[in-house]
Amino acid sequence: MSLAMSRPEAPPAPPAIPRAAPIQYGTALLVLVLVAGPLLPVLLQSVLDGALYDAEYNLTLANFARLARTEGFGLVLLNTVVLAALTTLVAQFVGTLAAILFGRTDLPLARLMSEFFLWPLYLSALVLSFGWYAVYGPAGYLTMLWQSVLGEAPWTLYSLAGMAVIAGVSQAPLAYIYCLSSASITDPSLEEAARVSGAGTFRTLWRITLPLMKPAIAYSAVLNFTVGLELLSIPLIFGDPAGITVLTTFLFNNGISSPRPDHGLVATAAALMLAVVCFLVWLQGRMLGNTRRFITLGGKATRPRPFRLGGLRWPLFILAALYILATVIAPIGVLVLRAFTAFLSPMIPLSEVLTTGNFVQIFEYPVYSRAVWNSFVVSLVGGAIATALIGLVAIIVHRSEFRFRGALQYLALFPRAVPGVVAGIGFFYAFALLPGLGFLRNSIWILVIAFTMRFIPAGIGAVAPMLLQVSHDLDRAARVQGADWWTTSRRILLPLMRPALVGCFTILFISFFKEYSTAIFLFAPGSEVIGTTLLQLWVQGEVGLVAALATIQVAVIAVCVAAVRGIFGVKLHG
Amino acid sequence: MADLTIQGLTKRFGGVTAVDDVNLHVADGEFVTLLGPSGCGKSTTLAAVAGLDRADGGRIQVGGTVYFDAARGIYLPPEARSCGLVFQSYALWPHMTVADNVAFPLTLRKVAAAERKRRIDEVLALVEMERYAGRYPHELSGGQQQRVALARTLVYRPAILLLDEPLSNLDAKLRDRARAWLAELRTRLGLTTIYVTHDQIEALSLSDRIVVMNGGRIAQIGTPQEIYERPADPFVADFIGTTNFLPARVVGDAPAGGRALLELADGQRLEAVAERAAPGGSRVTLAFRPEQMQVAPPGTAPEGGSVLATRVTSRSYVGGNWQVGLELAGAALRLEARQPPAEDRLDLWLPHAGGILFRGGADVAA
Repeated sequence: MSLAMSRPEAPPAPPAIPRAAPIQYGTALLVLVLVAGPLLPVLLQSVLDGALYDAEYNLTLANFARLARTEGFGLVLLNTVVLAALTTLVAQFVGTLAAILFGRTDLPLARLMSEFFLWPLYLSALVLSFGWYAVYGPAGYLTMLWQSVLGEAPWTLYSLAGMAVIAGVSQAPLAYIYCLSSASITDPSLEEAARVSGAGTFRTLWRITLPLMKPAIAYSAVLNFTVGLELLSIPLIFGDPAGITVLTTFLFNNGISSPRPDHGLVATAAALMLAVVCFLVWLQGRMLGNTRRFITLGGKATRPRPFRLGGLRWPLFILAALYILATVIAPIGVLVLRAFTAFLSPMIPLSEVLTTGNFVQIFEYPVYSRAVWNSFVVSLVGGAIATALIGLVAIIVHRSEFRFRGALQYLALFPRAVPGVVAGIGFFYAFALLPGLGFLRNSIWILVIAFTMRFIPAGIGAVAPMLLQVSHDLDRAARVQGADWWTTSRRILLPLMRPALVGCFTILFISFFKEYSTAIFLFAPGSEVIGTTLLQLWVQGEVGLVAALATIQVAVIAVCVAAVRGIFGVKLHG
Repeated sequence: MADLTIQGLTKRFGGVTAVDDVNLHVADGEFVTLLGPSGCGKSTTLAAVAGLDRADGGRIQVGGTVYFDAARGIYLPPEARSCGLVFQSYALWPHMTVADNVAFPLTLRKVAAAERKRRIDEVLALVEMERYAGRYPHELSGGQQQRVALARTLVYRPAILLLDEPLSNLDAKLRDRARAWLAELRTRLGLTTIYVTHDQIEALSLSDRIVVMNGGRIAQIGTPQEIYERPADPFVADFIGTTNFLPARVVGDAPAGGRALLELADGQRLEAVAERAAPGGSRVTLAFRPEQMQVAPPGTAPEGGSVLATRVTSRSYVGGNWQVGLELAGAALRLEARQPPAEDRLDLWLPHAGGILFRGGADVAA
């Protein structure tokens, strides 16, 4: 007996039912329902004269005319555009400067400071807003300190400029990341050539480095403008009390918190916003070629030789350190401090007010502890479910002969163009409309569904690059040896994608854990999460509880980020 | 084991026809090599046989099984064929040990555990890798990975073995050893084998027959000797190792098998045996291998060949020999010589027989 004598074997018997088609069509259908489900009701409602759930209604374009005539709507649009533009300006200026200073010069402690600089990216703008309030608000720590020494504080957060500074600082990391990654892929010899030909540090920076970053600056500007349009928390906290309304707060106030919501008007404004953001995302795609709204997992970038700052090294260091202190450390630090005190003021010694009472209260009241628990369940279980779906979508899009894989990819990436507020309203309508789904409406699963839809693109962004690096020969080899598509995916591709799937799960966990803009349209008593409870407590003026809850969120995310970086040695952005 | 029939195989990528009406029959147990430069369609043909690419036209049959028939709409997915394919990249699964890699096709075929173990041991012994069963692919050298890839393919006894440039990722010394090993293995196994390569030495030393491909078409099918000694056209001659082409014109009709008198562009004349009749005035190309040309010592009579005056354009020492570049009537020639030519002029001796006469101008891609 030997291999030479043996007769060839028949290929393995195919499974009784072909598995590729049901799995592929099923997944595509699921993604279609997830993405189109919330959008269709919004678009439909925008052209109906009555409410979507009424028995009778007529098609009409009157909503658009009515919206245009709505008193103050012009001002709302103007505010929205001005806020987004100012935010972009601040974010681009700070982000580009930081990219050069931290990434390309010999500034002391540059690495450490860039770590701190990125922190706002991991946290929600909501938490950051509370932090800013605790430091720079009317009763803020620094404001009081200033008042006791110098009199009236010259700043206010309750203005378009004030909000733009908070938003700009929290979005500057986006500009920073894009500029830095563009700097790391350009040829360092271009700069060296300029220096060899006699250009000094600042001339080289101005004439070579900065122009090379131009595409990244332009792209991240459009990205930040889009994020600026979608902002909800900052205008809600600082804009509403000052009577400054933007599109998102307009939708929130008229859609959900109003006792008799005008659905036609809300849906029309949402549709308008959807159209604008779609256009901006399309523009981003045009500018980048390959659309990637989320930079997710990046390898270690090669770093060209840093510029010498010379005599400006220490002055610039002090300036940068002050910035980090003022925008990141102080807001988060004071917020955490506030969580551990009964009352925080520069006039009262800290030792007299230290307490764990805020945390005790959170865990004693079932409403609050339930929110923390729900956040964990939504993030862990929802993140796992979403990761499974995303892995499947990525494999179908990149590694199958599925007929509609191109369409599936487009569909899966489409939620990039759906603002969280619009998704929230859409899911609200969708679940109100479909009779069988009532039981979901008051559970956390509606949040899992909505969050999954929102963050499919972010997950794909984490998984697809890794999948593209896996050689096609590896799955072809399995196919030739007799494994069908599903066996190949399960036995060969999924195990190889494990690191990417872990990265995807972490990104989704953090995103789910801090998400609030979709949730505030969807939660019900019993299905609160940290984000929605934070907003409720804020409205009730429970600053101590807000600080404690926010501290819990910050701590969980910090542990998550540290763990993933420690274990996998990857940078995590997004 | 089974025979392979390819009829009218055509594959287009966009507007480019990668494989153009390829017809081939490989007998049971035969070893056939697809040889050609990159982009000639050899790998696309292999992929069509394995089922990795769906061809646009034609028919592929192995033994009694029709793998593909465009006319009848038959297309078996790769897993339903019984091909063994060894990839150029080996494609070992990095998350599985050597034994797990080899076990995978057996698990798919639901081979019982005891039998599975016996066959894994047997096939790893065959490729002399039994000591590495517990290793992971990244712990193996390129040559060892290649053996495991082959073992993983042989273990399920495929009807036909497909090898896609299996030696091209090895360094030169290892490649020679692997080639000898592969030649020995193929005589022991006697599998019907399609071997794809761009290396004429591999093709000549391993194959029963060689299929030379060019631009998606078959340029010539024949035994290694036929391909080497009687190339069908200047492309095959060039690809198989002939590097010297002389454009010329026939002076007076020459009968088939007779000797033709040729005139070069600069008026020099020489004689060559014409296998086929060459009408007077027609344009021809005469091809010589470097080893067939010699330096004529000055003053000697042309015996059994013609002496032509050439200009020396370059000389370089290639270890043991000198490679001399010559210019003759506008054509560039290359000659191997023991000594470098002392002067800029050199008399070249070309035999009457041994050169190959092609009709038409030389249109060889350099």
